[in-house]
Amino acid sequence: MKTGYKKKILGITGLICLGFSVVAVRLGYVMIAQSDKYQELARDLHQREREIKAPRGNIYDRNGVKIASNKAVYSISVIYSQMTDKKKVVQVLSEELGLETEEIKGKVYKNSVREKIKSNVEKETADRIREYKLDGVKVDEDYKRVYPYDSLASKVLGFTGGDNQGIVGLEVFYDKYLKGKSGKILTLTDGKGIEIEGAYEERDEPVAGNDLYTSLDVNLQNYVTQACEKVKKEKNAKQVSMILMNPQNGEIYAMANVPEYNLNEPFKLNSRQQQADSKKQQEYLNQKWRNSCINDTYEPGSVFKIVTAAAGLESGKVKVTDHFNCPGFRIVEDRKIRCHKTTGHGSETFREGVMNSCNPVFMEVGARVGVDGMYDMFRKLGLFEKTGIDLPGEANSIMHKKKNVKAVELATMSFGQSIQITPLQLLRAASAAVNGGKLITPHFGVRTVSADGKKEKIFEYPEKKGVIQKETSETLRDLLKAVVSEGSGRNCKIEGFSIGGKTATSEKLPRGNGKYISSFLGFSKAEDPTVMGIVLIDEPEGTYYGGTIAAPVMRSVFQVALPYLGISKDYTAEKENE
Amino acid sequence: MANRIKEKYLARKKYFDYPMLFLVIFLILFGMVMIFSTSSYKSTITYGNPYHWLIRQAAAVVIGAVFMIAFCKIDYRVFKHLFFARGCYGLSIALLVIVLAIGAAKKGSVRWISIGGFQFQPSEFAKILLVMYLAYTLSRNAGKMRSFWDTLKVLLKCVPVIGLVAYQNLSTALVICAITGVMVFVVSPKTKELIGVALGMVGVLVAYLAFSSSYRNERLQIWLHPESHEKGLQTMQALYAIGSGGIFGKGLGQSMQKMGFVPESHNDMIFSIICEELGLFGAICLILVFMALIWRMLLIAMNAEDLFGSLIAIGFMTHIAVQVFINIAVVTNTIPPTGIPLPFISYGGSSILAIMAEMGIVLSISKRIRL
Repeated sequence: MKTGYKKKILGITGLICLGFSVVAVRLGYVMIAQSDKYQELARDLHQREREIKAPRGNIYDRNGVKIASNKAVYSISVIYSQMTDKKKVVQVLSEELGLETEEIKGKVYKNSVREKIKSNVEKETADRIREYKLDGVKVDEDYKRVYPYDSLASKVLGFTGGDNQGIVGLEVFYDKYLKGKSGKILTLTDGKGIEIEGAYEERDEPVAGNDLYTSLDVNLQNYVTQACEKVKKEKNAKQVSMILMNPQNGEIYAMANVPEYNLNEPFKLNSRQQQADSKKQQEYLNQKWRNSCINDTYEPGSVFKIVTAAAGLESGKVKVTDHFNCPGFRIVEDRKIRCHKTTGHGSETFREGVMNSCNPVFMEVGARVGVDGMYDMFRKLGLFEKTGIDLPGEANSIMHKKKNVKAVELATMSFGQSIQITPLQLLRAASAAVNGGKLITPHFGVRTVSADGKKEKIFEYPEKKGVIQKETSETLRDLLKAVVSEGSGRNCKIEGFSIGGKTATSEKLPRGNGKYISSFLGFSKAEDPTVMGIVLIDEPEGTYYGGTIAAPVMRSVFQVALPYLGISKDYTAEKENE
Repeated sequence: MANRIKEKYLARKKYFDYPMLFLVIFLILFGMVMIFSTSSYKSTITYGNPYHWLIRQAAAVVIGAVFMIAFCKIDYRVFKHLFFARGCYGLSIALLVIVLAIGAAKKGSVRWISIGGFQFQPSEFAKILLVMYLAYTLSRNAGKMRSFWDTLKVLLKCVPVIGLVAYQNLSTALVICAITGVMVFVVSPKTKELIGVALGMVGVLVAYLAFSSSYRNERLQIWLHPESHEKGLQTMQALYAIGSGGIFGKGLGQSMQKMGFVPESHNDMIFSIICEELGLFGAICLILVFMALIWRMLLIAMNAEDLFGSLIAIGFMTHIAVQVFINIAVVTNTIPPTGIPLPFISYGGSSILAIMAEMGIVLSISKRIRL
């Protein structure tokens, strides 16, 4: 071979060597300098994180009755790239799940990574679908929140959303305890997203949510709800609310707002509401879920006289034996403010004034105590603050600004008008008034216990002692006992039990439209109250006096609740009555 | 007389390039190992057994071995005939026209002819035929090529073949261009002019890539921004595989990227999986094996008995070198993506068959070397 040729061949070979060196250098760069970067990117690509849901904690009543728990359900989804027989998938799923073929077809033939066909599928159905062993059809276990008592205490318990998170009620307030921590499995998958068997797996176990023990009592709640439903029907009322609480420590036994709703179907609307647009529908739902005992304020009316009486007695401006005169009205500045008894109660002691629920008497008391004294008592009884109940969305009171309070406002405030508070605020204030001057925090949550039962957390709630003197409290108990035994609250009298209470009839704003809220607040024993209740009948038809329609409701509840709670019959009370 | 010839024959020390044979066998076996490694997972999913592609490749290798042994046994000089050279030329054009006709009939681009269930790619064989034709033409005219026009005439004769290949597969046409260019360059006295022409062609190619139709331009965009281009997936997957190999790799069979991430993982992209499993070390070793093979072929070309043999060896050497370079450059995203198999390693019956036939011819040339 000619040397000239050889030179050229060597030249070509040199060029080849250069080319190979270039790719070798490039390889070195990618495999050393960029190795970490690509390794990480590749890992992200190969590793799939699969969530393992944690079961949500149960909710129990005070006797250990389960009022919210979980049920294992299954969700069915399809993985597009893994399906081999799409036709059969469509056929089987539409048969088993009872869905329209077209609907499933749309999802099966949609080129997405994963498409959920249906969630909350019962175990038997899920097992049957598993039996078919269809490629690309995934059956995953999930939990569904179930409420065994359907609508019982619905507005207290609340419910959970699709991701098992609390949406309203105790479910949202105690969400961080109940929800638990979901675990995860890190697996390696191939290009189609199929898990590679036998590949190294990392696993984080889920932590089940804590169980919540509440102060609710299913039996009492049931009975309270029935009583509310009964009166709602009788009086064709818009709504009836009732709370039963231990005034000594703030534990709530029952809280009903009739109509309640089915917690297992919280989003269900009636056919008329379904016609509305989505914004309106949401309003209907919010209305349906609303807990009026704590979310809404109202003019408390005569029950509020407990507060005025406390202010009068505590300041020493009024004594039980003080004499008043009621001509049926009282002139305050240029206004004539009437008593509910337009003919007047005539001459009466303070004790009689309380029993008669006489407005002029309390206007006089209010005037004697003065704005400062009244507001001081409001503050002491917690009327300027939220009660601190363990439920979301609590409303606060609406009061006049102190500097705006003139004689007229002072007078109307004294018998519970021109101010707005929540029923629970009133119950809390009344508790402090009769329990010896202890301002408690109403609550449901007692303790949480971890799923394995090892860790327990007992909740503590703030208590303010001595907001009024013991003697004042004792006097108030005595006065309110008289209201039931001899006064306007007679309809709550139960033979053999000593009961205290106060009636109220509040005219709803705007005045003169004939809409009322009839209410009654009662407690027992009168001497040492361990249960206190308030009932509100919103917009009753016909007779609307609290003493006539609300007191009997409390009576019917107390008839069952007092023996149930172990409150003994008081024979001295019986004798007194005779 | 017969005795004397026999004596003369015996006196000459019999040569055979065993190192080259060893390298070829090593590469083929290594290729089969890698094809099994890269295709077994996909094969199991698609066909229920891991050997689908391995068996097909093994069949091609067996047929290839028959060709290789046959060509090795046949004295390559029997091909040194005008009749044979013209036959090669005519056959390559005929094959390419047939595949084009089939494509036209099927209303789509087709790259292969199906004979008895065996798909066969004419362009792979066109390379051998063209090398044989060029080797004959150039060795015949070596002394007569004086003017640039003489050189150009040879080149022009190759244009129909290159054109037909280019019509279906631009990257294969590029490989054939390189082979033709190198072979002509070695023989032609017009070195400077040819370098000028080569540079000019590279310039035209770059301009074509940069300014022409959207399809080619798209490749340029993929090359520049593989991570953001919608069709850069294949390139990125290859880079993930190469990058995650590191220096010593994950170990044979341990690739993750072959599990459906790198498309064509047993085919054009097989080198990326080699990098992932065997690391930079394994990849460089493989490149060194290829260089060793090229070195052996270079030696054979330099010492061949005649210019015809030299040119054949150069042609096939260029073929292997260019394909190895383009393949590795593509998987490492050094150049814009194009589909070229890695010789000996990538899955593909026509490719391995053609290469083994080429190796047989080169080994036959090595047998005529006088020491």
